[in-house]
Amino acid sequence: MGKPDYFAPQTVDEALETLAKQSSGAKIIAGGTDLIPRMRSGMMNPALLVDLCRLPLNHIEIKSGWLHIGARVTHSEILESELLAVHYPALVEAARAIAGPPIRNRGTIGGNIINASPAADLAPPLLVYDAIVLLVKADAERVVPLAELFTGPGRTILSSDEILTEIRVPLPPPDTASNFVKLGKRKAMAIAVASAATRLTLDGDGIIFQARVALGSVAPKPMRSIGAESLLQGKAPGMEIFTEAARVASLESSPITDLRASAEYRKKMVAVLVRRSLEATWGQLGMENQ
Amino acid sequence: MTEIMVRFTVNKRPVSVKTEPSRTLLNVLRDDLKLKGAKEACGQGDCGACVVVMDGKAVNSCLVLIAQAEGADIITVEGLAENGKLHPLQEHFIENWAFQCGYCASGMLMSAYALLLKNPNPTREEIQDAISGNLCRCTGYHEIMEAIEASAADLNMKSSNTCDQKKLSKGDMHERLGNHPTEIY
Repeated sequence: MGKPDYFAPQTVDEALETLAKQSSGAKIIAGGTDLIPRMRSGMMNPALLVDLCRLPLNHIEIKSGWLHIGARVTHSEILESELLAVHYPALVEAARAIAGPPIRNRGTIGGNIINASPAADLAPPLLVYDAIVLLVKADAERVVPLAELFTGPGRTILSSDEILTEIRVPLPPPDTASNFVKLGKRKAMAIAVASAATRLTLDGDGIIFQARVALGSVAPKPMRSIGAESLLQGKAPGMEIFTEAARVASLESSPITDLRASAEYRKKMVAVLVRRSLEATWGQLGMENQ
Repeated sequence: MTEIMVRFTVNKRPVSVKTEPSRTLLNVLRDDLKLKGAKEACGQGDCGACVVVMDGKAVNSCLVLIAQAEGADIITVEGLAENGKLHPLQEHFIENWAFQCGYCASGMLMSAYALLLKNPNPTREEIQDAISGNLCRCTGYHEIMEAIEASAADLNMKSSNTCDQKKLSKGDMHERLGNHPTEIY
């Protein structure tokens, strides 16, 4: 491993100033659960590590209809949040599916997103909740839909002098339910072979008013299946339409073959996971209406 | 690269280490502080052989930079026994044959210790989750889970009889820390 310098700024401004001065030699570190193995294997060799650990980015709060999650919130903190359990159960389930406690105690939501792994467990639920991210630099900030942050495996639109400071998610409308399912080689410590998150919002007549279907590990980046979503919208929920939407999601996925699974297997599993997730989501809506 | 001074506590003793900031906590524990309980096996957070408790939470010490340990309270497996008496977790690991080669044991113990700190009455499922980041390749997990269950029962019984098993609050912890001179490495 190289021997980078280390700096833990006390404020976001101080962090941004440092990044602006350093340009490409600096790398942001938070939990380090992805970055440190990469540095140790020589895949990354930054000259300076800018540690976000002293920045006040560990909030989980609802303000004027939006959930705000600081980038430094850990997977364990997501798991322990009652607020998230009530409004965003798919996000909590995804955090539970990540690795084991020692990793969940260090790894952060910001890191999970910004590493832009196609297999990032938190991405599909955040996509079905229509999450946006706040990207800040010294003289400007921009708010970007999560789907537009990713440009490819491990790549995002974040520039080297910019920090993802916060994730914002609208409060789900009434009659909304959501779910996350993950297929891994085993229950713990496994990177997803494929994952799916779904959200259904019903109107007063029990018709699907809004549908979201997001997939992990089956495309160069976490993706939404727009075809499956538009198929579901305006229909009454039911197994037949779920099976059809799952088939469309499978067609829209573009997985690769790697050490975890073949592309063909992944494509088939997308159909299974999406159907199961929609079924589970619908099941929750049924329970609420009773 | 500039060396930095990092101050933290290990097993309730304050320490100061002058070091390169990007060394891992595991390296410093083993090479500088000569605490060889935490092991390096995979070196990337998959196996849990290096687990220590940092500010009350189980962490992979191979994935914590020493600079990130500034101000932290670290407990390693060496800190479990008190006054020459093994911690109930250690006793029950022995009784239940939860050790074989022993390579995973210190990490398993520390994951179990972190679990019992926040959840004195864990279910079997919660125990499984707590050690899901720790790999054992010889004894098997059954004996380990039984040892943790027995320890929880044991600790709960003691805490209902006496007060000395109650969790240390941050304040208690610092009071106890105050009695030790800082060790410089």
